[in-house]
Amino acid sequence: MLRTSLRSLAQHRLRLALTVVAVVAGVGFVTGTYLFTDSLQRAFDRLFDLRQPDVTVSRQLPGQAATGGAAGGAERTLPAALVDRIAKVPGVAAAYGVVTDGSATVMTAGGEPLARLGQRTTGTSWVPNPRLRGYDLVSGRAPIGRGEVALLASTAARAGVTVGGTVRVDTPGGVIEPTVVGLVERPIAGTDGGTLVVFDLPTARRLLLEGRAQVTSVVVAAAPGIDQQRLADRITDVLPPDARAETGRSRSADLAARLQDAFTFLSTFLLAFAGIALLVAGFLIYNTFTMLVAARTRELALLRAVGASRGQVRRAVLVEAAAVGTVAAGLGLVAGIGVSGLLRRLFEAFGVDLPGGPLVVEPRTIAVALVVGVVTTVASAYLPARRAALVPPVAAMREELELPARSLRGRTLLALLLVVAAVVLARTGLQLVDDVERAAAYLGGSAVCALVALLAGAPLVGRGALRVLGAPLTRWPVGRLARENARRNPRRTAATAAALAIGLAVMSAVAVIAASTKSSVAEVVDDTVGADFIVASANLRPFTPRAYEALAGTPGTSVVTFSRAVALTLDGTQHPVIGVEPEQFAKVFKITMAQGSFADLAFGGAVVDETTAREAHLQLGQTAHVEFLNGPGRLRIDGIYQASGAAQGFVVTLPTLAAAGSLERDTAIYVRLAPGADAATVRTALEQRLAPVGAFQVLDRTELKEQIDAQFDRVFGFVYALLALAVIVAFLGIVNTLALSVHERRREIGLLRAVGTSRHQLRVMVVLESVLVAVLGGVVGILLGVLYGALLQRVLAAQGVSTLSVPVAQLGWFVAVSAAGGLLAALWPAMTAARMNLLRAIATE
Amino acid sequence: MEQTPTAARARALTKVYGAGAAQVRALDAVDVDVERGRYTAVMGPSGSGKSTLMHCLAGLDSVTSGDVWLGEVELSRLADRELTRLRRDAVGFVFQSFNLLPTLTALENITLPIDIAGRRPDPAWLDVVIDTVGLRDRLRHRPSELSGGQQQRVACARALASRPQIVFADEPTGNLDSRSSAEVLGFLRRSVAEFGQTIVMVTHDPVAAAYADRVLFLADGQVVGELREPTPERVRERLAATDPASV
Repeated sequence: MLRTSLRSLAQHRLRLALTVVAVVAGVGFVTGTYLFTDSLQRAFDRLFDLRQPDVTVSRQLPGQAATGGAAGGAERTLPAALVDRIAKVPGVAAAYGVVTDGSATVMTAGGEPLARLGQRTTGTSWVPNPRLRGYDLVSGRAPIGRGEVALLASTAARAGVTVGGTVRVDTPGGVIEPTVVGLVERPIAGTDGGTLVVFDLPTARRLLLEGRAQVTSVVVAAAPGIDQQRLADRITDVLPPDARAETGRSRSADLAARLQDAFTFLSTFLLAFAGIALLVAGFLIYNTFTMLVAARTRELALLRAVGASRGQVRRAVLVEAAAVGTVAAGLGLVAGIGVSGLLRRLFEAFGVDLPGGPLVVEPRTIAVALVVGVVTTVASAYLPARRAALVPPVAAMREELELPARSLRGRTLLALLLVVAAVVLARTGLQLVDDVERAAAYLGGSAVCALVALLAGAPLVGRGALRVLGAPLTRWPVGRLARENARRNPRRTAATAAALAIGLAVMSAVAVIAASTKSSVAEVVDDTVGADFIVASANLRPFTPRAYEALAGTPGTSVVTFSRAVALTLDGTQHPVIGVEPEQFAKVFKITMAQGSFADLAFGGAVVDETTAREAHLQLGQTAHVEFLNGPGRLRIDGIYQASGAAQGFVVTLPTLAAAGSLERDTAIYVRLAPGADAATVRTALEQRLAPVGAFQVLDRTELKEQIDAQFDRVFGFVYALLALAVIVAFLGIVNTLALSVHERRREIGLLRAVGTSRHQLRVMVVLESVLVAVLGGVVGILLGVLYGALLQRVLAAQGVSTLSVPVAQLGWFVAVSAAGGLLAALWPAMTAARMNLLRAIATE
Repeated sequence: MEQTPTAARARALTKVYGAGAAQVRALDAVDVDVERGRYTAVMGPSGSGKSTLMHCLAGLDSVTSGDVWLGEVELSRLADRELTRLRRDAVGFVFQSFNLLPTLTALENITLPIDIAGRRPDPAWLDVVIDTVGLRDRLRHRPSELSGGQQQRVACARALASRPQIVFADEPTGNLDSRSSAEVLGFLRRSVAEFGQTIVMVTHDPVAAAYADRVLFLADGQVVGELREPTPERVRERLAATDPASV
């Protein structure tokens, strides 16, 4: 029997090819995800293992774990005198003070920041000892004095400068145009997409710390033979209580642990999409095997007729599946390499630069490829195999045969039960107003039930749906044939369309949430922002008061005010603290108070939003014990405001914020026009005054909304791109189904040709059938996606997604893309149908 | 189209399959004239070339050499597109099996060639055809709900519905019991008698052949005889003479 199975495989190349394609697509996406995340993790591990100072000293913030990452930052400084004290500790070979801050923006010649939003804009001071700095000098020399910098090589390349050229850098200490004297590189290329500029220590201090005699960290090299931990202990003895000495080993371990968390999230996220692709591929495989068994009924019946038992026939099909699964899993592994490259490209296209490194193929990846490939294939083949075994031997002798139509009663019952389950889960989820995660989980469960119900019930309703959807097709002479072909095997059409429906359902749900988020943001901006212009730095980082000083009193403005932000820790949770001039701020930003009055906000007090108040159990008039950057403090609750989505956390006066240890760094400046002032004139004036200060953007309300929209678009675009892979697999499924259908119907096609159907008409017929099935899947998926998107919006309403918005035009595009995909999927099967040899098609076998 | 005494004709028609040692000469310089308005049966043992002759006359298969006319049209010069149009407009087919599309009703199957051509059926003629085959109460049924004989009658109705110049029937009773066969053959006979339809039928059944006006006998790719006003007995005698093994 084994030989029969294998030989049968070899003889049916089309069958083999279609099944393999299905499995490879599914396995490729799963293994690609593993390959991608494993390789990335290895690259990051190497990155952080490579070089750490033996001991790093930095300010420890209350309520915060060890910092890791770039130590320091202008908010967290140590006295410069500490460096000498540390250098004198026995066992210290060398100690250097470092000033690092994320506010040195390297700009293009045109004055635009190089780094994209969210990427780092690091400025740091040169460390003479190569073992103590996280970069290597690759050309030129170290920067000396005010007029010189070294740049990260990739930064220089992006800015279009080489050694000897000048570059524009925006810093808290002003915009400078130093000469580039050296290029540095991090040990692994493409560390992140951010920029790095290196000054000498005095210059860094002047530009980043306003000239204060401070450092943000101290890096220490141990004398030979001194253990890192022992040295750290000794250093700790000379440190003030809020400073902390960390060994290189422990910093590496911390970083590794944090990366681990990030990667667990990333790979779970990617695997969720891989799971969707696999589910879709599972359909494809199942469908393919079902059709193949139907096509070979006669062959299987012949086996039965010559004495094969049911078990043998079943095993023959399963052995075939296992063989195909194994081969395809191997190919899928190879395809996974391509997918992993594709994922990397995708991340890069969305502005995430990733460290390079060798491809890591863990044994686990190979095991998963094999298990997924073989198990999915065999499992998908099991039901068709059982049906194959039921083929009566006499079928071999019959001229025409059709497997008996199975009853749909079981399916009806299952579908109804699942619909009930979906409704119950959704209702339960919607009642969990306060627990968004659990509510979303219930909705997710409900969506899965609905999907499976759809699959089970699709054959029941699919025929009717196809009749309606296909009505326009009857305009073509062969349109009716196309529609009836799609309707003749409801199970097959349902399974094919369902694969596409799954992908489009998720896409549509995302589209609804994206549109709702955007329109909610727009509404919040319209409701709360009273400022006519909002000024922020070009990369949205905090900036010095020089910008405010430049803008104050601009003709045509009635109000110019600003906000500053820090963080505080309350019961182990971080909250934002926004410092404002209350009287001015109230004129540019609408804060609706639930309790108390915004006018009562005074020194030592804060107003807080309802959600934070509820979660932290804060009441009007109560005093909260909090941890500021500079230590413990107290805040009196002067009022509680309605959470709006635009403002969140504690709002305090500027003196309160200063007392909490905030630097004089502004996050935004709000400008209100004087009555009768011309907006365009004022804008020009504002921009002219800002130009010498640095790179800023002046946004009116519309532009503010657009900018926020653009950020959401990037995130959602990334999700769409990942889902597109699942949709492509679904289209492959349509190709498979059509190719086999054409093969099965070759006699009908021959008959159609004999009675005068042209090749062109045949092609149209196949294409129309494909488009119809694709549009069915698309429309059903979109409807389901919109339903669950709307439900999810209700769950997220408390999180700020307060308005439901259904992006009709975008969903229309989804339908169009489905149709276009259906058309593309049909090209090859249609060509096969049109080329079919007429005589062979009608000749009786 | 102008009326000529022959509805189809072949001159020195040769059809060779394969090449080299595996070469098979299915038709060897055959000359045939199909008379208009008559019922012609083509008989011969398996492998005699009777099906190939029909396929070549109907434009379903290309010829190796020689000429074939359908009416006044010379087929070997036609491209696929023109052949398709010719089949659609001028030829009707009845096959042994797989004659109907399972997704269409009986009526839709009957009007299929007209629909594909994008034309409207002539309702009066359609009525005549449907009544002649006696399927008026079955028009809404799908093929799977019809008996074999009924299916083949639908196929005959389809072949006649577009008023083709000529109908080719390839073993139309091969899958039918004797009663259904008689129905189908009787119907074909009547369409010749009542509507002046030209029919070419390939068969190996002497009883079926006896419904025709004229029987052509083929053996080894050549026409070896002809019989007018056939009866089953005379057909059998003649067959025995050409191929003793067949009787």
